[in-house]
Amino acid sequence: MIPKMYLLYGIAILGLMATAQFRGWNLATVNEVKNVPRSVRDNPGSYRSVYSSYHHYTGGK
Amino acid sequence: MLESGPKKQIPAVSVRSLNCPNCGATVTLRSFGQAINVVCSGCHSILDAQNPQVQVLQQFKVKMKWDPLIPLGSRGKLRGTMWEVIGFQRREIEVDDVTYGWGEYLLFNPYQGFRYLTEYDGHWNYVSPLRSLPEARSTGLNTVRYLNETYKRFQTANAKTAYVIGEFPWQVRFGETYQVTDYVCPPRVLSSEGSEKEVTWSLGEYMSGKDIWKAFSLPGAPPPAVGVYENQPSPLGDTPKKIWRYWFFLFLAALVLQVYNSVTSPEQAVFTHSYTFDTQATGEPSFVTEEFYLKSPDSPVKVETQADLNNNWIYLNYALINVDTGQAWDFSREVSYYSGYDDGAWSEGDRNDSVTLPAVPSGRYYLRVEPEGDKNTGAINYSVKLTRGVPTPIWFVIACGLLLVPAIMLSWRSISFEHRRWEESDSGQPGVASVLSSLVHQSSGDKNDS
Repeated sequence: MIPKMYLLYGIAILGLMATAQFRGWNLATVNEVKNVPRSVRDNPGSYRSVYSSYHHYTGGK
Repeated sequence: MLESGPKKQIPAVSVRSLNCPNCGATVTLRSFGQAINVVCSGCHSILDAQNPQVQVLQQFKVKMKWDPLIPLGSRGKLRGTMWEVIGFQRREIEVDDVTYGWGEYLLFNPYQGFRYLTEYDGHWNYVSPLRSLPEARSTGLNTVRYLNETYKRFQTANAKTAYVIGEFPWQVRFGETYQVTDYVCPPRVLSSEGSEKEVTWSLGEYMSGKDIWKAFSLPGAPPPAVGVYENQPSPLGDTPKKIWRYWFFLFLAALVLQVYNSVTSPEQAVFTHSYTFDTQATGEPSFVTEEFYLKSPDSPVKVETQADLNNNWIYLNYALINVDTGQAWDFSREVSYYSGYDDGAWSEGDRNDSVTLPAVPSGRYYLRVEPEGDKNTGAINYSVKLTRGVPTPIWFVIACGLLLVPAIMLSWRSISFEHRRWEESDSGQPGVASVLSSLVHQSSGDKNDS
């Protein structure tokens, strides 16, 4: 019983893996923004990135 | 252990009675004259059942009377044969000043002879005498082989008869002591018993109390099994081995999928450009790139950033914007690199960075870049490269991890069970190799190791 359940589980995992690869799913943190105005091409400063308030790391020893 | 042959009905009860010469109590004989000794349940006199004068051979006093869990005279069908319980003895061993005792039930069938049932802490074994000797496989008799199975030595102890009742086909004596050694190959156990002059071997097969109760139609429930017994089969059986076999094939399938994905991915560089960012410059730092085209099919896009940094950093706000639809993928990357020499050379960070965006539809795009940096740094040279249709190994890695989790959990449970079994052995603490070896032997039945 357990081996058959594992086999089904494994096949489901492989199916998800194949789907993720085929569909190009990704774990990267990316925000989709709709309807960016065409004026951004002429005035790049008018675009407000969602990451612009990020607190920068100024590391090193 | 399975017995075959013509199924014969046990003859009607044919018992003989005699009177105990010591106390006068009636003593019943059930084994058709095969009993050598019989024990009076009234005064615990061991009598010579073969002598018409019925001599008292031994009398003993017991601190505690042990009532057999299966009453004498009970009949039950085991392995297709009807057996009658005709004798019971309690035997004890002493280990580290602790006394451990178990019960042995003598079973009789007029056609099959004698068999035994043993019980310890709710664990039962159906025991048959061996017809051929096992062969020793290692010095010190640490392993023996019998019928193409390898048995590992589990325990050696001196077993003393602490209580007897009923009839026996041998000269039974209260207090007599024999050296007993058990060799296990779950669910079977080989036991040698005797002295330097004579050794007898028997083969036991593990049974549950529930099966015993059912076979003998006993009232109530059997005593619960406590702990892990020496030849108790693992509840997981050979499941871990099967799981690992499946894991291997599933891993191969995942690997094939990954290779296929890598080979068929239309990996193509669509944009490459180098820039210089002056952190001390005034004015708007953000800019947009020239347009580039992302072809079908929809696939991930890898954005690589390389910056000439030394003990500083650059932060880049990116937006990949579709010219026609206005849809944008907004993300940011920090690239930093520090190095120096304290007690030795050290470095931290990386001058190169990459990120893969999920499937991006085909179309015309441009990139908006907004760099940020430390005001005191000055000019930073960096380059940006976009590649379309890159394969992503992350799903292969995740799939392998998810496939491993159940296999490792089941194996851990199985190893834990074997560890508890071998903790009770006098062969020393169970090492990982020993436990794994037991697992392999148990799951394979060791049938091919001949």
